[in-house]
Amino acid sequence: MTQRIVTAADLDKLVAGWAKSGAVYAPVEVKDWTEFRRIVSLAETDLTRVNTKLSARGLLFPHCETMFRFEASRPDKAQEADEPETQVVLGVRSCDAAGIAVLDKFFSGQGETDTYYQRRRDRTTLVGLSCHAPADTCFCSAVGGSPTGTRGLDLLLTDLGGRYLAEPLTDKGAALVKDMPEASASDLAKKAELADRAEAAITERIDTRKLKGLLDTADGNPIWEELSLPCVNCGACTFVCPTCHCFDITDETRKGKGARIRVWDTCQSCTYSQHASGHNPRLAPSARFRNRTMDKFRYTVDQVGEVSCVGCGRCIRECPAGIDICETVERLMLALVK
Amino acid sequence: MPEAAATNPAAGVFEPKIVAFLCNWCSYAGADLAGISRIQYPPSIRVIRVPCSGRVDPFFILKALQSGADGVLVSGCHPGDCHYLTGNYVARRRFAVLNDLLEFAGIDPGRVSFSWVSAAEGERFAEVVRDVTEKVRQLGPNRKLLKEEVA
Amino acid sequence: MSREEQLRKRAKELLAGKEVVMVLGYRAGRRPGTATPAFITRPEDADSLVFDDRCGANLAAYLPRVKHLGKIAVVAKGCDSRSIVTLLKEKQLDRNQLVILGVGCDGVKEQGRLSDSCATCAYPNPVVCDEMVGDKVAERESAADPLAEFEKLAPEERWQALAEEVSRCIRCYACRQVCPNCYCPTCFVDAGSPQWVGKTTAGSDNMMFHLMRAMHMAGRCVECGACSRGCPMGIDLMKFNRKVAKTVKDRFGAVAGLNPDEPPALAAFDPNDKQEFIR
Repeated sequence: MTQRIVTAADLDKLVAGWAKSGAVYAPVEVKDWTEFRRIVSLAETDLTRVNTKLSARGLLFPHCETMFRFEASRPDKAQEADEPETQVVLGVRSCDAAGIAVLDKFFSGQGETDTYYQRRRDRTTLVGLSCHAPADTCFCSAVGGSPTGTRGLDLLLTDLGGRYLAEPLTDKGAALVKDMPEASASDLAKKAELADRAEAAITERIDTRKLKGLLDTADGNPIWEELSLPCVNCGACTFVCPTCHCFDITDETRKGKGARIRVWDTCQSCTYSQHASGHNPRLAPSARFRNRTMDKFRYTVDQVGEVSCVGCGRCIRECPAGIDICETVERLMLALVK
Repeated sequence: MPEAAATNPAAGVFEPKIVAFLCNWCSYAGADLAGISRIQYPPSIRVIRVPCSGRVDPFFILKALQSGADGVLVSGCHPGDCHYLTGNYVARRRFAVLNDLLEFAGIDPGRVSFSWVSAAEGERFAEVVRDVTEKVRQLGPNRKLLKEEVA
Repeated sequence: MSREEQLRKRAKELLAGKEVVMVLGYRAGRRPGTATPAFITRPEDADSLVFDDRCGANLAAYLPRVKHLGKIAVVAKGCDSRSIVTLLKEKQLDRNQLVILGVGCDGVKEQGRLSDSCATCAYPNPVVCDEMVGDKVAERESAADPLAEFEKLAPEERWQALAEEVSRCIRCYACRQVCPNCYCPTCFVDAGSPQWVGKTTAGSDNMMFHLMRAMHMAGRCVECGACSRGCPMGIDLMKFNRKVAKTVKDRFGAVAGLNPDEPPALAAFDPNDKQEFIR
């Protein structure tokens, strides 16, 4: 598809236009980090930070989502929740977009489609932003991604200094910038140079390819006990993760009116695997720790054919115990290779 | 408009809904005495009988506010008179912390009230209810912790 | 010998002499400026132990989880030692099964800045320990009341500020999990029947959680700040903690985690406790 050039002034106009016909979300400064927030003007955004605090997943799979409403006296009649708005998400980093591509596989790629996810997904256009200065916690290139990766995106913007190279990847993306001028060869060359530089800035090298085979036989290995000791089993890593997608369904009723709601859940919580009988097959903290690591690098490979870590580094940054998933992988390899 | 915030159209005044946690041995008996003595007090309270004021978990109080109460009254035996000897002394510390925390969080003092009423104090019980009801009426409907609707 | 060298030496001795089965301390994290709890069981691993301003986790939180292994040596800053005292009071630990290696602490840094809780720390040295590793640090001047400014705000402003603060909560419970005080087998927010607190972050459920969490900290919280530092959403949990600690101090004259022989403030009473708020 034709690559185009969008000046900052043009982007400002585009955003204002998108905001008229739907919602626009982009990274906005909150305290000393950024979050995806609804915007009406480009001026509200801060596109300079590496990553938002929470990934973009919440825009497709919200923390709390009402599935339907009901009246307690008429349990046979359910009222569907409101249809989501159309939305453009601006400033999605490549790792987050790759995370959404992974979510797509879980929520709509295996025969069964999750209606609640899919109807948001269908109404969403993802506008990415190339990453020029990865953080020291970034390791997208170690898990098959790239700071300028296009996977999952509709359009990728690359900041060339006051003007953006716009690379459409889908028809939806192309439509957003169809009126913009074409990019020149020197623009493309500049992008390639920036991409190389960003790639080189990522120094983390973990090898997750061999890991899958090793993990297949790692269930009862004592290494899990050792690795999990610092883990306090909070849900921080799973809630900030772009690909974690577990949810819990709960009914809330009040004054005869109710709603069925799904909320993010975490495999780190002891209630996650608790059976109705009270039995809990994954009660041990180490078993819960093992589950998340196994899920990222083994179970999802079996389920959807790829690791479900996109290297955004959020779990490293937010872990209150300072657990580093790269170190976990490294120590696992050392212990399992023997 | 939630039921709790209903105004009495006849009188044009807001009639608050107040959850009262009364200890079995003193305040509940005090309320009973007020009743059999035909002492008038506003019909604003919904009584929950508890074995001792020490049974009142601060969570009960917050939960009442979240569930639509405009005010909460907790009442037990006078210090020194607890049926279980020290239940109300221990409860008093807990209530003090809650009282200060709610004030700190900007929740109007007066939403949550505490009193000691003995089994012999029917008139005092009525007065406490009149007073608490008036205070909550002045404050208006509880909005801060209220969970009005399901998501 | 530097403090770190002394620490490593003592850890080695304790493990080699089979006096303890584990030394609970800190080691450097993979990335610069980070440290993570270390669970050393072999003398030869003791050389990885570090102690400096990266070591923010409250290690007392791990003790109930590893106590079944046997006698544990634990590196304790002032706040960690006070948490140990709290746990001893609440019969969660056996003093005879602990070797407390005290360290003086000049404060923990977060992204290069002194952690908020450390800026007002009144107990930088361990209040209880079996041996000091390195010297005690200078006691600090008592800091100004960190709540003074906030408490001057109008009630409505305080409510708005706290409501905004807790609205960011994603209910990951990192604050609970890093806290030495939170050892309940089932937390009130996890109880399902009845379900006390709604699971959504909508409505007032976040505030319910945070107010009740604070209530459960009364007379027990040592203001180590691990919750605030651990919160992925940057919620100022210490604001709530400080308030309950202040109430407990002002009203009952009690400070958490100082005296193992005193009962927890909220499990005790004085017939003369102030009751001006009770009719």
